[in-house]
Amino acid sequence: MPTRRLSLSKAVPAVVRQSHGLQRFMLLLGFAIIAAFLIIAIFAPWIAPYGFNDDRSGGVLFGTQQAPSADHWFGTTVGGTDVLSRVVYGTRTAIEVIILAVVLSSLVGVPLGLLSGFLGGWLDRVLVLVMDALYAFPSLLLAIVVSIVLTGGSSGAVGGILAAAISITVVFVPQYYRVIRSATLAVKVEPYVDSARVVGVRTPRILGRHIFSNVAQNLPVIGTLNASEAILTLAGLGFLGFGIEPSAAAEWGFDLNKALPDASNGIWWTSVFPGTAIVLIVLGVTLVGESLNDILNPLLRTRGADTTSADEAEITHEFEELTGDIEPSVEVRNEAANAEKRVAALALTDLAVTFRTDAGQIHAVNGISFDVAPGEVVAVVGESGSGKSVSSRAVLGLLPSTAAVTGSARLGDRELLGMSNNDIRPIRGDQVSMVFQEPSTALNPVYTVGWQIIEGIQAHKDVSKKDARKRAIELLELVGMPDPEHRVDYYPHQLSGGQKQRVVIAMAIACDPDVIIADEPTTALDVTVQAAILELLLSLRDRLGTAIVLITHNMGVVADMADRVVVMYRGNIVEQAPAGELFAEPKHPYTRALLDAVPHLGRENGPGLVDENDLVLKVEDLVVEFPGGLGQPAFRAVDHVTLEIRKGEVLGLVGESGSGKSTVGRTTVGLQQPTSGTIHVSGNTISGLSDRQLRPFRSRFGFVFQDPASSLNPRMSIGQCVAEPLHVQTDLKQSEIDAKVRSLLDSVELGGSYVERFPHELSGGQRQRVSLARALALDPDLLIADEPTSALDVSVQARVLELFTELQQRLQFACLFISHDLAVVDTLANRVAVMQHGKLVEIGPRDQVLGNPQEDYTKRLIAAVPVPDPDEQRRRREARGHLLTDIS
Amino acid sequence: MTAEVLAPLEPTPAQPSRKRRGPLSPLARYMLVRVALIIPMLWVLVTMVFLLMRVIGDPVTAAQGGRLNAEQIAERKHAAGLDRPMLTQYWEYITGLLHGDFGTTLTDHREISGILTHYGAATLELSFWALLVAFAVGIPLGRLAARYRDRLPDVVLRLFAILIYAAPVFFVGLLLKLAFTPFGWPSSGRSSTQTELTLDNVHPHTNIMIVDALLWGDPKIILEVLQYALLPAVALGLLTGGVFLRLVRINLLQTLRMDYVTAARARGVSERRVVRKHAFRNALVPVVTVMGMQIALLLAGAVLTETTFEWKGIGYELTQYLKARDFLAVQGIVTAIAVIVCVASLLIDAIVALVDPRVRF
Repeated sequence: MPTRRLSLSKAVPAVVRQSHGLQRFMLLLGFAIIAAFLIIAIFAPWIAPYGFNDDRSGGVLFGTQQAPSADHWFGTTVGGTDVLSRVVYGTRTAIEVIILAVVLSSLVGVPLGLLSGFLGGWLDRVLVLVMDALYAFPSLLLAIVVSIVLTGGSSGAVGGILAAAISITVVFVPQYYRVIRSATLAVKVEPYVDSARVVGVRTPRILGRHIFSNVAQNLPVIGTLNASEAILTLAGLGFLGFGIEPSAAAEWGFDLNKALPDASNGIWWTSVFPGTAIVLIVLGVTLVGESLNDILNPLLRTRGADTTSADEAEITHEFEELTGDIEPSVEVRNEAANAEKRVAALALTDLAVTFRTDAGQIHAVNGISFDVAPGEVVAVVGESGSGKSVSSRAVLGLLPSTAAVTGSARLGDRELLGMSNNDIRPIRGDQVSMVFQEPSTALNPVYTVGWQIIEGIQAHKDVSKKDARKRAIELLELVGMPDPEHRVDYYPHQLSGGQKQRVVIAMAIACDPDVIIADEPTTALDVTVQAAILELLLSLRDRLGTAIVLITHNMGVVADMADRVVVMYRGNIVEQAPAGELFAEPKHPYTRALLDAVPHLGRENGPGLVDENDLVLKVEDLVVEFPGGLGQPAFRAVDHVTLEIRKGEVLGLVGESGSGKSTVGRTTVGLQQPTSGTIHVSGNTISGLSDRQLRPFRSRFGFVFQDPASSLNPRMSIGQCVAEPLHVQTDLKQSEIDAKVRSLLDSVELGGSYVERFPHELSGGQRQRVSLARALALDPDLLIADEPTSALDVSVQARVLELFTELQQRLQFACLFISHDLAVVDTLANRVAVMQHGKLVEIGPRDQVLGNPQEDYTKRLIAAVPVPDPDEQRRRREARGHLLTDIS
Repeated sequence: MTAEVLAPLEPTPAQPSRKRRGPLSPLARYMLVRVALIIPMLWVLVTMVFLLMRVIGDPVTAAQGGRLNAEQIAERKHAAGLDRPMLTQYWEYITGLLHGDFGTTLTDHREISGILTHYGAATLELSFWALLVAFAVGIPLGRLAARYRDRLPDVVLRLFAILIYAAPVFFVGLLLKLAFTPFGWPSSGRSSTQTELTLDNVHPHTNIMIVDALLWGDPKIILEVLQYALLPAVALGLLTGGVFLRLVRINLLQTLRMDYVTAARARGVSERRVVRKHAFRNALVPVVTVMGMQIALLLAGAVLTETTFEWKGIGYELTQYLKARDFLAVQGIVTAIAVIVCVASLLIDAIVALVDPRVRF
């Protein structure tokens, strides 16, 4: 179960609970060592047999360099003192210095890092320069110099310990500063910080509630590193003779220095004991730090994020509502089973995949069967957690070692499952190849695209580098890469997203495979680029007769491409049928509901124009530029945009990535200053106002951000998130605020129990509903919704859009609805505006812009959208001809 | 060890590809920008050192106070130019540095630039051997640990890495001395006195023992020089090697999860090649970046190692001058170390740019 991490006392057990096996052992061992040293430090006078400087007991001298004996367990030093006593008292010195140093350096470094990262500007630049200079310097030398400056030489116990701590502090401040600054830079652009700014939260509160609370999770890790470095630096200072005055306090480094000549004479006890003490204490601290880092570093975890389960629960909930009692594992129709025996290129039978995770076994795929014939496109559709990607990777043995795969996957007459790595390697890329979702991560950034294509060719064919290169150029030409002779030597980051996906496809077809598995091949791409890539895949299928397994969540893509469709839900196939039949007559209630939930461009009965109400938003001749880098011209994101929205009206603002549509939204609420032009909200000019001047107007607008994962502060409860605008902008009493929060949450269909929950316990759809409630808390005149549903699954999206429309009808706020999805806009906008390269291309009533576009770009955009109806899509595809083929 | 060392470094963000402009290649342009950025950093460092050394008070009193009367001190101050306004001294210091003049020591009136070249050579030699040990230990063991993640070799190697990090370099040195001196293994100094005298006759005399020995050409002397270098090199090299081990392991584990690794497997590239060409090379980018920061650690470690093994290098000299409170000498040597760190980080940037094309273009 997710745990709330509020205080340190709760955090420690939570961390222990999150750990497992070896990690937990290391963590506990570290804690145990630290505890032991703390006890020794506190009770030093009772534990040590003698004083640390005593060289006699009862008037009898100990003698120098005595080997360990009953009187002196650890022997005596060259100065005739008891080694054990010095080691015990040395613990005290070490602990005092560590605590002082860690407290001091965090007290200085953390606020500096926060302010520097948050405020930016010249303060940030100067601090970065100074801190980098300090950081670049060998830390021990710096500590020596500082300690000499502070003491003018050696000094007594208190002064010496303080001086040592301060010297170490100077060395470590830059580390805190750097880590906190970069964490602040990352957090400050999170949508939840923006949404706090939108409602007018003041800077100190933003720094404290929103930034510091999220940055603070780095502190334990730096703190432990700092502590271990502090001990080592202290010992180094002592060893070189610049530490604490030896008569004032026992210090391990100093003792090691005195033991230096002993080492050549075989006297081991004077050095081994204090040295071991240093090793042990640093070991304890480092074990804790290292385990914390491992546990808290999400990149190294072997389990899914907490949110996945909430999202899946949400989809399950929708499913159950739609389908009633039907068991998901029952397949209602399987045309493939009834059809005459076909020659399948790839056939899966009873394929099941199970993952071992920290949280136990997860059944990702529960025994699915389908096949794909040569020249056929089979689409596998489903929402998050349906297991569609996992099953395709299982076929090629590309799952991590925590996965167990059973069943059968036959390629022609060969069984792929259970093959050894050596046996399956020649099949990968040669007979079965893959196209990945995100082309920018599927290509290795440090090699040219040609190198990577050639690598694939040479893995299977014994050809010379020169021939392979020629083939690579041919392939790039085949996939429609412009200027392939040159582009073959480009690195991935020099190509656009669509071009990168073409490279990935070129690799996939390099060895004329029998089967291509395309895993969401166009999800990361703009709609016009998507159309071109899909076109390319189809033409390759026609030319090469390849079988294609197309994994997607987009019903439009399915209608556009598929011969047959496999619908998956939670690891099971609920229905499979030829595409035409499936869309015309879906048999399974889930399929039916899924199809109903998909907005269909051109068939939506969106709202008409509203009456001549009052103007709420008026944007005049807006220009927004971002300064370029050194010697680079400024980038103009928004170029002379003029638009207005009336009370009760929804303006859909559509465009592809980089069109400037989000910048328009951010500028209208003052998150971004316009370069020129004016913005009026409800008759007040808000452009050009400072944050302070803008604050009274903040209650006039609300903002809903795209990413449900980051639009709510993870450290605040749902109730606190929704109440924040009320706290900032109104004088309501706490009881009134509570009542208002409850009614707001009720209005977005989240009952009372959600108030206490934290964002990570909610699904994506629920979080977007919370965002909506927060945005509406102050009864705004204007709501900006920036892609509010694009991160959600189809069925969840439908529910959120429905809720949105209902609230908008009831509350009559004006809304700027920003989206890349024309079909979504078609369901709810009164008017539609189209942007490209920062310019407003076309604006007008919804029917007119989407139904009868005047501008070429709008026409292309609309033609590129695949609609979820195979027959209609075929007509659209023929009608558009080659309008799109040369874009990407 | 710093937080950055453990926390995974984000891959350098891709810069938008720019059209070539002017006659310079992208790499040269990038390096020019880096050089331009290093200048304010150097200035801050040099100024910091100068100010710190003036905060202590007047260097002559610090060094000779008690031994000389007020008149003699004033005379000495005048001779060293320390009675002039601070800004004049600062200007002289900066202009001197630009000409490669690091000043003169107070206590024994030696040219600091001479000290730097003579003893710097010894430190350079020690750092070279240590880096060799560090690479030999860190990189293969890091790969091994990543390959057997969470299994026995990984557990053992990680504990080993933590242990050698936890052990101060001088304690490791002491243990090595304790272990090797009974067998008569040399454990202090850079060579026997006799060898040192012999090698003084080598021309050109580099004071890099192994180079001098090779120039002399006597195999016995070469062997002896290597024997003397072994223990200090291992002590210092293990320190850095442990850091490399952990870095290589963690970055390799992360790159092995990347999509392009799966993509390479999916096109039938052999597992060995996937690890070597795709995972390892990409994992090296952050490793090399952090290596730049390790130079400072290595130099600090060299000071301690030199004291432990009486290896008469720049760190050993520095501690002697620190103890003598000769702050003009300290100022010169510390400034030189700062310059070396900056130049080294510049070199590291160049290597990163060679490995990672995203930085270059």
